Amino acid sequence: MTATAVSIAGVTPREIVTPRSIDELAAIVRELHDARKAFAFVGGGTALDLGNSPRALDVAVRTSALDAIVDYAPEDQTITVEAGATLADLDRVLARHGQMLPLDVADRERSTIGGVVATNRYGRRRQRYGTAKDLIVGVSIVRPDGVRARGGGKVVKNVAGFDLPKLAVGALGTLGAIATVTFRLYPIPEAARAVVLRFGREAALGAALHEMIVRRLEPESVALYDYRALVVTFAGTQRGTDAQARTLVDEIAPAHGVEAAPLSELERESYEQRERAVRRDGSWRFRVIAPPAEPVATAANAVPATPLAVPVAYPLLGIALHAHSEETLAAPPDAAPDWPVHDLRETVADRTHNRGHVVFDAIPAAARGLVDPWGPTPPSFALMRTLKQNFDPHGLCNPGRFIGGL
Amino acid sequence: MTAIAVSPAFDHFAAIVGAKNVVGSPAELRTYECDGLLGYRVRPELVVLPGTTEEVAACVVLARELGMPVVPRGAGTGLSGGALPSEGCVVIGLARMKKILEVDLANRVARVQPGVINLDITRALQADGWYYAPDPSSQSVCTIGGNVAENSGGAHCLKYGFTVNHVLGLTLVTPDGAVVALGSQAGEPDVLGYDLTGVVVGSEGMTGIVTEVLVRILRSPQRTQTLFATFPSTDEAGDAVSRIIGAGIVPAAIEMCDALAIEAIVAATDVDWPLDVGALLLMDADGVEEEVDEVAARARTHVEAAGALEIRAPKDDAERLLAWKGRKAAFAAMGRISPNYYVQDGVIPRKEIGKVLREIAALGARAGLRVANVFHAGDGNLHPLVLYDGRIPGQEHAAEEVGGEILRVCLRYGGSVTGEHGVGHDKACYLGEQFSPDDLATMQMIRTTFDPERRFNPEKMFPTPRLCGDKPGAYVPHATETAGEAARG
Repeated sequence: MTATAVSIAGVTPREIVTPRSIDELAAIVRELHDARKAFAFVGGGTALDLGNSPRALDVAVRTSALDAIVDYAPEDQTITVEAGATLADLDRVLARHGQMLPLDVADRERSTIGGVVATNRYGRRRQRYGTAKDLIVGVSIVRPDGVRARGGGKVVKNVAGFDLPKLAVGALGTLGAIATVTFRLYPIPEAARAVVLRFGREAALGAALHEMIVRRLEPESVALYDYRALVVTFAGTQRGTDAQARTLVDEIAPAHGVEAAPLSELERESYEQRERAVRRDGSWRFRVIAPPAEPVATAANAVPATPLAVPVAYPLLGIALHAHSEETLAAPPDAAPDWPVHDLRETVADRTHNRGHVVFDAIPAAARGLVDPWGPTPPSFALMRTLKQNFDPHGLCNPGRFIGGL
Repeated sequence: MTAIAVSPAFDHFAAIVGAKNVVGSPAELRTYECDGLLGYRVRPELVVLPGTTEEVAACVVLARELGMPVVPRGAGTGLSGGALPSEGCVVIGLARMKKILEVDLANRVARVQPGVINLDITRALQADGWYYAPDPSSQSVCTIGGNVAENSGGAHCLKYGFTVNHVLGLTLVTPDGAVVALGSQAGEPDVLGYDLTGVVVGSEGMTGIVTEVLVRILRSPQRTQTLFATFPSTDEAGDAVSRIIGAGIVPAAIEMCDALAIEAIVAATDVDWPLDVGALLLMDADGVEEEVDEVAARARTHVEAAGALEIRAPKDDAERLLAWKGRKAAFAAMGRISPNYYVQDGVIPRKEIGKVLREIAALGARAGLRVANVFHAGDGNLHPLVLYDGRIPGQEHAAEEVGGEILRVCLRYGGSVTGEHGVGHDKACYLGEQFSPDDLATMQMIRTTFDPERRFNPEKMFPTPRLCGDKPGAYVPHATETAGEAARG
């Protein structure tokens, strides 16, 4: 037991416990379940503002002591780790074998595997590598009744049984505790190139992006900063990355009247720092998620009356594996509690023909309860409610925090 | 309908879909007695072939009222018995729902009905330079609905992922007859709440009937280079795979054939592969031109270092496609060297290929049966084909025993009983060896979210005493097989 203060979406638990092993985690959950006490799981604490305030919270269970690397098979490019291991822990182990888990989530020293999976966090490299859903191959959980269960496995290809790993991703710990995760890994590319495109008109941006698709370039990431600078990275072999960077700078950019230049490692890092800060700071933080064809400015111009900055957007391309969309990460400056969230949602829904949505990653304390962080529930919500009921019939596991109060 | 002994439910279903779309006569029902797992046959009570989502929903509601089990069916090419009927069931076949409803290049998605043939999506897109990535060997005959049910793979999922990585959204008729939209509506990358799309893909027809699929479409790569290499034995070929993967190369596909598989493929197709070798690898590298050239050259050095006898690069696209056609026809080609075969789908860590293949050969030898291997080496997904003669009493059973022992070997190496064919009827008894009772009970919680009565595709995937006591029926070639149109694997 520790006294470290934790507040989960505005609610402070009465007690915090830190199990030393997965057996202990299961025993604690079973005990809480049998005593009908409400509980939630805490990893690195980087996403505690996400979601609704829990309806009840007796005990927060910290995973920080569950940080073992259970099994690393470099020749097979798979690793099994306990949920409390941080991304930085993993980076260090994997780098020795020239491998990586390509989830470029901010704050790697604090972000834990369990947290990243539970919140389905990802970064720019989603363009090539996808999200945790595409990288997870196995999971073991502790169900809300304290029973341990496994899904998936340790091999990269496996369709045996129902896909518990997919379900664990993004469920925000409402179906139980993530105990261990097995990922498929990727080799660290031997070469990387970054290019920045600076443009004045949005039309030029759209045209340049389109031509990257037509010319079949395969960027590792595409990120848009402040609606002015598009940073494109290529990763792979020396010749492959050089050739792609040249095509973009010497051919595509000039054809569309866009200024383009290679980015140094240092400059690229400064953009990424900016991005990390955006994802970490600010009392209001939200993401607009929309189909790729919707205007990049969906979020930027959504609420004309409110000063709204869009520091980072991912206009993903339809080229490599996951490539498929546009996500806009938008963060308004510190706005008042009565900031017109509803206008934002309405405008986004309108512009995307009800196919885009807004998720709040952080809401200032004064506005909590006034704003639904998730927004309207999807058409399949009745199934989601039944699923939650099947896993957690007593409503003890992170109750109310997820979409629609699940 | 004039046939005798037609189900009393016939007229009820005919009222929904029209009498011509209900199959009720014993003779016609024979076609639906099995899928690509040929050793098991059960005659369904009825087969209905709805043409719309609404008709599917009405059929599902009716089946519920009549208390009939429901078994969904695509093209019937599955190899695990996922579409094997249950006693007294209605088979809902989706073959009539074969429209590509919408191609939206701007959002990089296509909306298709479940009866669309996998390859037809790419055929509709390739003139514009786009394609649908998952490529099961049966892609010229299998349907997207079946691919969704089984989470089908294929050679190129080594780089591009499986069906689940390419399906963004679904329309699902749930077992209570509700029509529900799951996942992405138009290509938005993330959806709110639990990943029900990810659960339904690969749920083997136990969560309902999918009537629309929103698939991701990809831009075809600048270049594809194919490498063909032969080896003295599967040991050297396995070593080459390990070296390539270990060097950080991510090929689009690496396939292996052993000597017996080569013999069959050469006999059945136009490939000019050498017959005096122990194994061959077929590898694709794809992507940006400069990178592909470099990667292919490097892979070549690893293949040489592993002890390749001969390395070839196809001289043109026609030769490349021929090589792949040979690979994809491998299962069908087995008929050239054996009256019957029984295929398995186990997965092992890819570094263990050489060792496991030797164990498989020993298992076959002990049972007096030959085992051919043609498989997705890059991700360790084995397809041992146990060859037997069904006319010899006891051989079919012996082949199944060998197949089962092979799965146990895969599990002993930390693998899985299925990489892409699904558990189905075939491997249900082995799922209990891969997962604990608690694991399976947890999967049942997911299943019963959709189907509390467990009426959809009952007796699949989960081990039950009744199921695991069943004996296989006599082998009869399936219609598609005798017609020579099915390429399986």
